[in-house]
Amino acid sequence: MEAVRTEMPAPAMPRSWRVDTKPHKFCPGCGHGLVLKCLGQAIDELNIQGRVVFGCDIGCSLLSWDFFNIDTIQTHHGRTTPVMVGLKRARPELVTIAYMGDGGGYAIGAQHLVNAASRGENITVVLANNTQYAMTGGQMAPTTLPGQKTETTPYGREPETTGYPFMGPEMVAAITREGAYVARGSVANLRQLKSYIKKALENQIAGRGFSFVEALSGCPTNWRTNAAETWDFIEEEMPNYFKVGEIKASAAAKKGEEDG
Amino acid sequence: MTLEFQSKTKELKKGLFTLFPGLCKGCGLCVEKCPKHCIAWSDILGVYGTPSVEANDECIACGICQNVCPDCAILVRKKTGKVGPN
Repeated sequence: MEAVRTEMPAPAMPRSWRVDTKPHKFCPGCGHGLVLKCLGQAIDELNIQGRVVFGCDIGCSLLSWDFFNIDTIQTHHGRTTPVMVGLKRARPELVTIAYMGDGGGYAIGAQHLVNAASRGENITVVLANNTQYAMTGGQMAPTTLPGQKTETTPYGREPETTGYPFMGPEMVAAITREGAYVARGSVANLRQLKSYIKKALENQIAGRGFSFVEALSGCPTNWRTNAAETWDFIEEEMPNYFKVGEIKASAAAKKGEEDG
Repeated sequence: MTLEFQSKTKELKKGLFTLFPGLCKGCGLCVEKCPKHCIAWSDILGVYGTPSVEANDECIACGICQNVCPDCAILVRKKTGKVGPN
């Protein structure tokens, strides 16, 4: 073993990650790891690790409860958003991040997201969209694509009987006031996703209003896909329905983008 | 507490490809994303007993595999001594 120990390079993890809890609890190939890597890099770059509070929701996203070297709260069913709102109101100097999946944010916790967004609360919400309820075994979620097979739609989702997928960022952009930041990124383009998350955090630090980033994420376990099919679904199928890009960015945020 | 992960470094023509078997879950995302298709399954087992990965001399040390690894199990360094992107 001595020969291995002569050179001991460290894994290239973001500084804000908690190394002693790695490898993390997510499945092999899970998109959460990539989204949280971008979030960690954004926190590192803004140098705000000491004043961030991270809230994770129910679902697979709760497996990030010990992910960061950051104060973390875990709540249920979308209530991460109001808990973070309360924290932000009590301690405005903190940077609060609500992290959730599409089940917690768009289905059972949609009311919290809608009300926090329409009130213009000064928090950041990062939402990972993997088109189904992953932790319970891959049932149909509001974001399941038409024709997509899940546990509860074995013949593919039929919009006639089960409706159309939920367009989260478009909805949030429609109900928020000027100054909000709303974007949809994808784990297929990590540099872009990191810049969106960073801008969402900067928007909160500047006190301009609600910041929301949805990340298209992968779930090889419940999609039952291999690596090639996973990338294909994230890169080809999902952006057909969920358009990637900045949906609402205030003039100030756009100026920041031009400056650097 | 800092934890040290055991590393297996392979010296290639253009860079150093380091893998941490204690972090690699064998998802294969890097195998598909590699622009040179030079990453293959290795005999070294990862944390879940699945094969980990290794690169061959086609590697150009671009660091894409390091970026797309959800577990940060790959570290790519160019031979100039600089650490790969991010």
